[in-house]
Amino acid sequence: VAVRAETAYPVPWYRGRVASWITTVDHKRIGILYLVTCLVFFGAGGILALLMRTQLAHPDENFLTRDSYNEVMTVHGVTMVFLVVVPILAGFGNYLVPLMIGARDVAFPRLNALSYWLFLFGGLVLFASFFAPDGPAKTGWTIYPPLSEQQPGIGVDLLILSLHILSVSSLVGAINFVVTIHRLRAPGMTWMRVPLFVWSIDVYAALLIVVLPALSAGLTLLLLDRQVGTHFFDPAQGGNAVLFQHVFWFFGHPEVYVMILPVMGIISEIIPVFARKPIFGYTAIAFSTVAIGFYSLLVWAHHMFAVGLATPLLGFFMISSMIIAVPTGIKILNWLATTWRGNLIFDTPMLFALGFIALFTIGGLSGIFLAAFPFDWQAHDSYFVVAHLHYVLFGGSMFGIFAGLYYWWPKMFGRMLDETLGKWHFWLLFIGFNLTFFPQHLLGLEGMPRRIYTYSNDSWEPSNLISTIGSYVMGAAILVFVINVLWTRRRAGVRAGNDPWLGDTLEWYTTSPPPPHNFDKVPYVTSARPLRDLRRRLAERRV
Amino acid sequence: MWPPPQHPLRMPAPVRRKLLFACLSLAALALVLAGAAAAGNGGVAPPAETPQAHRIQDIYWVLLGVTGVIFVLVEGALILFVARFRNAGRPRDAEGPQIRGHTRLELLWTAIPVLILAGIITVVFYKLPGIQDIPAATSDGSSKMTINVEGRQFYWRYVYPNGAVSINELRLPVGTPVKLVITAPTTDVNHSWWVPSLAGKMDAIPGKTNHLEFVSPSSPGVFVGQCAEFCGIQHAMMLTRVRVVEPSEYRAYLATQLQVNADVGRMTFEGACAPCHGMKGEGLIGPSLQGNSTLADPQRLKDLLENGKGKMPPVGKDWSQHELAALQSYLKETFAGGG
Repeated sequence: VAVRAETAYPVPWYRGRVASWITTVDHKRIGILYLVTCLVFFGAGGILALLMRTQLAHPDENFLTRDSYNEVMTVHGVTMVFLVVVPILAGFGNYLVPLMIGARDVAFPRLNALSYWLFLFGGLVLFASFFAPDGPAKTGWTIYPPLSEQQPGIGVDLLILSLHILSVSSLVGAINFVVTIHRLRAPGMTWMRVPLFVWSIDVYAALLIVVLPALSAGLTLLLLDRQVGTHFFDPAQGGNAVLFQHVFWFFGHPEVYVMILPVMGIISEIIPVFARKPIFGYTAIAFSTVAIGFYSLLVWAHHMFAVGLATPLLGFFMISSMIIAVPTGIKILNWLATTWRGNLIFDTPMLFALGFIALFTIGGLSGIFLAAFPFDWQAHDSYFVVAHLHYVLFGGSMFGIFAGLYYWWPKMFGRMLDETLGKWHFWLLFIGFNLTFFPQHLLGLEGMPRRIYTYSNDSWEPSNLISTIGSYVMGAAILVFVINVLWTRRRAGVRAGNDPWLGDTLEWYTTSPPPPHNFDKVPYVTSARPLRDLRRRLAERRV
Repeated sequence: MWPPPQHPLRMPAPVRRKLLFACLSLAALALVLAGAAAAGNGGVAPPAETPQAHRIQDIYWVLLGVTGVIFVLVEGALILFVARFRNAGRPRDAEGPQIRGHTRLELLWTAIPVLILAGIITVVFYKLPGIQDIPAATSDGSSKMTINVEGRQFYWRYVYPNGAVSINELRLPVGTPVKLVITAPTTDVNHSWWVPSLAGKMDAIPGKTNHLEFVSPSSPGVFVGQCAEFCGIQHAMMLTRVRVVEPSEYRAYLATQLQVNADVGRMTFEGACAPCHGMKGEGLIGPSLQGNSTLADPQRLKDLLENGKGKMPPVGKDWSQHELAALQSYLKETFAGGG
């Protein structure tokens, strides 16, 4: 009788199905943890947005109470900025940077894990503040004193704690990215051969390292004012409430570019692949990224045009803000030129990338309006600004993030996302987005301020109602995405080979998903498009 | 042969013609729309009833024109390229011409935006004196008047040169240069005064004194606005309106506002108390005022108004004697059964 011997390898606990994710220091698994966590937070933040839109659909609506509206409005903003866009880009960076530069992992894998777990718990602290006595912060994501110093309870303190944890997380991650990119590139990968996404992550990380300490300092002073009895920002005791705005926006405006530069990197990777052309003006795009990063440090007070600054300051911040439009415009024109005479393939990643160009252009142009400070005196803190920032952060960042998800999904999970559902996702989101946010420009021009929980002005109703309907369409689009993910994970996903899109960069050289060590052998990099070089050499050999 | 021998930047002539036609027609459409909107005067522009707001509106139209053309060019090119260079059955791996860049073209599209932006900046600085520097007197002799504006949770308090006070409603004589001195009490929070038809907004920040100047409209009217800086639970209810009236009516108004009378009391109640205690004092965020014992005790009421209590901000801090008296008698009359 043949006895089948069980080969009983003792599987250590840390290799278990769940434990292996908790103990992992693999950049790819950490990247996926980031992406999944951020998408969950994105869902939560999106539900908060739908609650707000429902409340604002009609004048004098009573769907949310005043307090809940203010809480929802605050947590929505903090979530989308700190728990979705910034960390999801860290997720892409984590997954892709080592693969794109042909490295085995990031420079400090354990720090990388620390960075993720700090992020997760920072996010949980924020959402846990809903259960705090007196609820979460009701101050708007900008937490301006004196209002933030006067709110009773511990909501604001928990928000500060959460942001402190998230700052440490981002800082650790940023240092990791910089060291990885500067020290671990494949042989032959000179700076002019580095993928543009990696360029953008380098600038993203550098900006975070420069500005996060400013945020931490400002938050610490605020916390001291609230808890210890100092008076940095308390005007009743000789403090200066405007100082906080300077500190906050010195961080806050570069943060905007932290949220868009890596997305521009994603777009710069996707458009050439689906146009079957090299990126037009590689050097210009790379250095415009650096230029945007630099100028972003000099524009913060354009968020403060109405606080009563001296005219020369107004002029300076208008001019510096307008200068940023130049490198931004260069990028848009370079992407357009890349599509020119290409062989454009409209797979879902490309649709989202083209959608990004269409929508980000609108957000960029409305930014020029806001930089002109006399007009900003009208538009500031109105729905015009809400429209502008969503054209940049949703029409821009989120569309680019979806482009990246559809593009790299097969690499991460070995299966393609469904194209038909992907196209439904794109068109619903594109239409819903414009329905939601375009009318908000008009509301702002008509005088509707942001952050109001209701209004009695009947003439604002049509635009608000359209906006609310649009937000439901966007909600439906996100549901389509969720269905797509679940459905293709379960069964229907087509298996992706190593290189389903005929990509240009090194991550397509390895298997999908890649093995823990990424590459058995890294080819010598001879240009910014090593994979195309390989394909060409293979084809020549066959001939 | 691949790539096809062709000048890398030259489009085939029919494509060039079509491109030019599409761009020009889109630009024409945008101009027609902008023109129609301008003729209709409003709907898509910030409203303007004063010379200052008009100049801001002028800047807006310049911006809309310039960015409108850029918008049409960029989106037009995007749509055109998508249509013209779509895959259309070509094999997936068929490559386009391997164009890596074009230095002159790139320099050109760096320089042109710089010039456009320089143009916008010039327009802003050209219009700026007309927005910021208000004449000391108009041609018909009305000289500049200064009014103090206080932003408070959750009402606007206007103090006129003669000491009269109004809450939420600012009265102005027609065609007069006005200087608003905008502040907030040091115990309060940030607000922002914004009546779009009259001027841009200006923040009211505790511990800071800001100025906003404009020449009031030349004909009577009512202009509405509201607080634009998030200031707490009733931010959305911090409305204000500016009633522009004939000078004689304005003088009469100032005189009555100095008295202790029921109108002043009701105005103060509706502005300072009603947002949190309800228009009928039925209780909303704060407790009901019906039969509230504090109302009958002038000293306790005064302490409460000046110092606040719990969630209630010190709404009545630094009020003048007649405001306090008018409110007290109004509250007593209305909620404590008179006497």
